[in-house]
Amino acid sequence: MRVTSAPRRWMVGPALAALLLGVSLVVPALQAQTSPVALAIPDAKTRQVVEREIARAVSRGLPSAPLVAKVMEGVTKQAAPDRIRAAVAAQAQRLEEARGLLGPTPTEAELVSGAEALAAGIPTAMLKQVRAAWPAQSVVMPLDVLTELVARGVPPKQALERVVTLMRRGATPVQIAGLGAAVQADVAAGLAPDAALEVRARGVMSLLPSPAAAAALAPSGRRP
Amino acid sequence: MSRRRPPHALLLLALLARALGAQGDPLLRLDAGFATIQQPAIGSVRGREIADAALVAAFWRRPLDRSTLLASGNLTYARDSLAAIQGVAALSVPWRREPNLRTDVGVAGASFSLRSAGTGGNANAFVRQHLVRDDDGGWVGGAMGRTRRDGVPSATTSADIGLWRRWRFLYGSASVAYQHSSDWLLLYTAGELDARSEADYDLIDLQLVLQARGGPHDLTLSWTRRRVFADGPLAVPALQGSGTFQLTDRVALVASVGRQLADPMRGLPQADLAMAAVRVSFGPQPLPVMPRAVVAEAVVHREVGADSSGATRPRAILEIRVEASDTAAVTVAGSFSQWDPIPLRWEAGVWVARVPIEPGTHRLGVRVGVGPWRAPRNLARVRDGFGGESGLVVVP
Repeated sequence: MRVTSAPRRWMVGPALAALLLGVSLVVPALQAQTSPVALAIPDAKTRQVVEREIARAVSRGLPSAPLVAKVMEGVTKQAAPDRIRAAVAAQAQRLEEARGLLGPTPTEAELVSGAEALAAGIPTAMLKQVRAAWPAQSVVMPLDVLTELVARGVPPKQALERVVTLMRRGATPVQIAGLGAAVQADVAAGLAPDAALEVRARGVMSLLPSPAAAAALAPSGRRP
Repeated sequence: MSRRRPPHALLLLALLARALGAQGDPLLRLDAGFATIQQPAIGSVRGREIADAALVAAFWRRPLDRSTLLASGNLTYARDSLAAIQGVAALSVPWRREPNLRTDVGVAGASFSLRSAGTGGNANAFVRQHLVRDDDGGWVGGAMGRTRRDGVPSATTSADIGLWRRWRFLYGSASVAYQHSSDWLLLYTAGELDARSEADYDLIDLQLVLQARGGPHDLTLSWTRRRVFADGPLAVPALQGSGTFQLTDRVALVASVGRQLADPMRGLPQADLAMAAVRVSFGPQPLPVMPRAVVAEAVVHREVGADSSGATRPRAILEIRVEASDTAAVTVAGSFSQWDPIPLRWEAGVWVARVPIEPGTHRLGVRVGVGPWRAPRNLARVRDGFGGESGLVVVP
């Protein structure tokens, strides 16, 4: 038995290695063929360029999901291949920029929100200020509301001031989200965006504890 | 002349009534009015006779899951000189992959007893392919019909192609229709055939339509030039004007004057008419009299629903409402659907979609026909990186 088992072991090793090598080669190829990008872009040349762009971003440690989403948006909107590639590259650049601004260890959701904020024209320094206001909590909702306010026409400086004040006073993400929704309703009713923000921010702040109490109640744990 | 009754009128009415009764929430429009109709008089010596007629018409529509079912019928009655009833049932289906494309298929029937053009009935079927964009579009279609007039059968085939365009409050269309028919008696009574030759003939109609719309009111002018190819080419022009004046949300006045050319596909004769009617709309909301400008809104509200594990919990629902023409195909796409377009449904006069949505920031766009992707007007707008825009919605 021992005499026959040695050659078997000798054969099993390379066979297993070959199998693993084969799987490692075949599975990514299959995944590439069935990935959303592959399914969405029928043109092989465009698909390769876009997939290369995404692979480059992933190799830099950036999440692929927001880039794939950008591809899908472009495909649905029947954008030209060059535009899709450029939009994906620009999104990757914004994600990388957001990572530097929201460091040291931003979550994927924070990166996406940061990239959206940059795309809406919010200056880079403002992202740093948002992170500084909540170093240990998720800044997803403050960034989202900031982006929405600026996209509505509120001057970035004024929008940042109000959002950061709420953050420092201990507002919850739901209260900050409520500010965005209330401003949206006021603007829809005809109020100027900056005036709506002033009125609504004061309303939310009246419900919050004083700055001193807020500092004492500030959470010290890491964000989820 | 003995009084002639339409043989299929009661059957068609019964079918229409059954269809109306079978639907839960139909949209229904009824017209009732009077007309003065001048029609050719059949006989060895041609002449014209004038009849005062009563008109009743119904239009019914029911939106289905991805399509629309339509039916309409009308009855014209002028004692023993003219009685006609027509019915149409059609299904309008937008394409799943190409929402700007829509296919209409339908069947129509008519039963008539006309001093000018005999007694009989007609059945026809049609299919029409539409391309509907924001402000323009086109169609191509075909139809086949069979008519029996005073016991003599005849057949008609037709093909038509047309384009339409909208400029603010003006809507214009141009179309060409070709018909081949053996219903020679119809054109003979209209004076478009010189002899009772009992031969097939061809018709080519060029039609231009211009419509002006102001609020719920509209005014339409239609000009048709027909060329008849039988004994020899013969040109026949026809001009028709019509208008709708909305008195209240549900009541409108409609009027029409001009020449209606002989229609071999439906077996109906040429007539000069002046008509006025009162139109009453029933249903959850009056039917839109005109296509409206595109207005899209998106709101997020919360409702209690079951998640994938079956547990009930509050969830956010994104509701998109788009005011657009009921003939358009409307879709919404966004990051919540991985940008897979979701068709909106026609509900009580507006296009609606309700989609569960996860917390976070979502981009979305709405598209009518093959027009540009637009942000709903109540949302913040951001550039999409493709030369267009997206709406931004933040879900807490």
